[in-house]
Amino acid sequence: MASTERSRLTVQQARALVAAGFRTLEERRQDVNDLNVYPVPDGDTGTNLSLTVRSVLEELQRAPADLDPAAICGCIANAALMGARGNSGVILSQMIRGAVTAFSDDAPFSESAVVSSFRLATDAAYRAVRKPVDGTMLSVLRDMAAAAEEHVGDGLDGLLETVLRAGWESVRRTPSQLKVLADAGVVDAGGFGLMLVLEGMTSGGEVHAVDPHVVDELAVSRPTKESVEAASLFTYCTSFLLSGSGLDARGFEEQLQSLGDSLLVVGDTAQLKVHVHTDEPGRVLGLGTALGMLTGIEIDNMRMQTADMAFRAREREAAEASTAEVRTQVVAVVSGAGIKELFRSLGAGPFVEGGQSMNPSAEELLQAVRLARAPAVIVLPNNKNIIMTAEQIVDLADKEVAVLPTRSIQAGLSAMVAFDRSRAAGENLEEMSRAVAEVVTGEVTRAVRDSTLNGLDIRQGAFIGLVGEEVVVSDDDLDAVVEAVAARLIDAEREIVTVIVGEGESGESARMAAERLRDLYPDVEIEVHVGGQPLYPLLLSAE
Amino acid sequence: MSDATRTRENTAIVVDSTADLPDVLLADPNLSMVPLNVHFNDDTFRDWVDIRPREFYARLRKAPKLPTTSQPSAGSFIEVYRGLKERFDHIYSIHLSGKLSGTLASATLAQDEVEGVTVLDSQVVTVAIALLAQRLLVRLGAGTTHDEIVAYVERYRRESGRLFVLDTLEYLQKGGRIGRASGMAGSLLNIKPLLTFTEGEVDAYKKVRGERKAMAAMIDYFTSRTVPDRPVHTAMAHADAPARAEEMLRLVRATGRKVDPVLLGEVGSVIGTYAGPGAVALFFIQE
Repeated sequence: MASTERSRLTVQQARALVAAGFRTLEERRQDVNDLNVYPVPDGDTGTNLSLTVRSVLEELQRAPADLDPAAICGCIANAALMGARGNSGVILSQMIRGAVTAFSDDAPFSESAVVSSFRLATDAAYRAVRKPVDGTMLSVLRDMAAAAEEHVGDGLDGLLETVLRAGWESVRRTPSQLKVLADAGVVDAGGFGLMLVLEGMTSGGEVHAVDPHVVDELAVSRPTKESVEAASLFTYCTSFLLSGSGLDARGFEEQLQSLGDSLLVVGDTAQLKVHVHTDEPGRVLGLGTALGMLTGIEIDNMRMQTADMAFRAREREAAEASTAEVRTQVVAVVSGAGIKELFRSLGAGPFVEGGQSMNPSAEELLQAVRLARAPAVIVLPNNKNIIMTAEQIVDLADKEVAVLPTRSIQAGLSAMVAFDRSRAAGENLEEMSRAVAEVVTGEVTRAVRDSTLNGLDIRQGAFIGLVGEEVVVSDDDLDAVVEAVAARLIDAEREIVTVIVGEGESGESARMAAERLRDLYPDVEIEVHVGGQPLYPLLLSAE
Repeated sequence: MSDATRTRENTAIVVDSTADLPDVLLADPNLSMVPLNVHFNDDTFRDWVDIRPREFYARLRKAPKLPTTSQPSAGSFIEVYRGLKERFDHIYSIHLSGKLSGTLASATLAQDEVEGVTVLDSQVVTVAIALLAQRLLVRLGAGTTHDEIVAYVERYRRESGRLFVLDTLEYLQKGGRIGRASGMAGSLLNIKPLLTFTEGEVDAYKKVRGERKAMAAMIDYFTSRTVPDRPVHTAMAHADAPARAEEMLRLVRATGRKVDPVLLGEVGSVIGTYAGPGAVALFFIQE
């Protein structure tokens, strides 16, 4: 950049700059892909960033050589938006859009213009993301903007070097800011990719503004298997460009919010770039077409990208199921990612997150019911305290709604085993209630206060075991409680014990306690699943 | 052709190897079998000819990659049909569901080359085809007509009971034969899938958890589709699960229905590729 200092921005310079940024990124694209674990470990961050930058480059190559700076900047911003792919690409497009506004007048590369471009880019990017998270390309850029403002007056070359150094430092910090990165042992892919682009732009396509070892060192970290398995709960990465008039980014974002995550809606009133991870790409597109014209529609299956058999299986199921008639859907109240996944694998959804207190509002339940496309919905409250709330919505919904009063997560899962979406609600209810009746449930939690119950002296903090809703045992030793509960659940009639272990440290000891049950009951099939539920180290059921 | 009587003297039945013919039928002079093939990497075996169930399941358990299967060529059908034509005037060639295999297509091609051949889709697999062949042989023994044979096959497709339980859907799914039961797949809970055939495709019947529940559900299905006091022609097959099959047979007999003699078979290598070890199937028709 130094050589082009203090001259009016030309198309040729812009091309050279972007080409240089593109080159460094493209060279290390696979490294960036390999780092990608957040928000979804689909290994495409490098590709998405690269395609976004390439779109800008191609647009500049097509642009007439005599464009004025304002037109060049407009052209760059538009091309970035049009070409943006994936979460990281869309965020980058917003950074670009913000950054170029600093160069649209006639003195492009003044130090102050560069400083303000970092600030404008940061602001634009943060505006685009609903819940900005530190440890991502957002915080990397913000840290650079702050460094730029601090060192204004060092001269352009010095300033850029300082800013890049701050950027790399920020990338290095990302694992301490975002747990999923630390767990996976990687730095943030988006931040890393952003730095590669900036390195290229400032040095004519080479990484040398800072110690090149930094790049190699940061690039060698690789996600672990575990982090890949903790994938997003949604299957399709869906993105498109929506053109119309009077478009309202926030409003559209609101509409899409319940359909997925990693949501980004950016642009202006004439054109919006939309990106979302969802299980219902069709609904997302439908909402889009209601507002305007769609172009550049891309629907990627993120599950396929993780190359995991189970995901593939579910994927195929989803694809095939979408063509089959769905007569009944199940809205299930869940708590914990693993539990949600268990329910989903049995065909439930949409879901209501019960939260720690398992106490969703009628409105939340109603919203989930509205999301269902089937003419009939069965609601599984999965907690005795939610049954009444659930029953309230039966008359409020615009479709047939029935509540199967499941009093526990375990009962809900048993009900789901008997569920068949191609059957009518009534038939399902019958089969599902029958399945629930055949199951006995137990749970292990901690006493919240000292008490005496059923002749048991219970001390606060001790483990307590329940069978049905009765407290039957209390002890400081988790194993003893698990064994006592299992002993009451398992009799000659029971073939399978399902154990769902909770989140956190007690979840791990709970898992080990569950494994020990295998030795105690060699004739019974003990199935252990990670539910991730709060408060209850173990949920058990026997059937 | 449809006026003439069909008897054991002038009519032969051809099935393919996926009928998993029990020994009692293998020896029948009016019944011939054309094998499909199973491929473990580069090794090709003719189903039931080169590889029998015991060896197949032993190989399957060790195979790093699932085997694949292939249909017989039209030529192999022509050869069998021509051979039979030396002794018989009419041939009924009955095969596994055309939605599951190209075998029916091969046979249909061959049908055009040899006179007097009628190819029929059983819309089922394994001993359900054997049971159908057996019922037709009984009819040939008494003398029947072309129209009656065709009508009986149609009726069998419509009315026969057909239910099977798998240990896992994995083989069906990997083999691409899961059909209408795809909604059952993907469950993280270990479920026992109970499946049936609908219009020749695998279809979901019910999901249960646990072996005993699966058996109970099969018996429910059986009793609710049969009446006492009339014979129920029944066939059962298992894929390397003799104990399970025996238990099933005991439960079927305990219903008091007139099932005996039950046609008992084993699931051979081709169907076993898609069912996987542990499968048990129950087929029946009441006339």
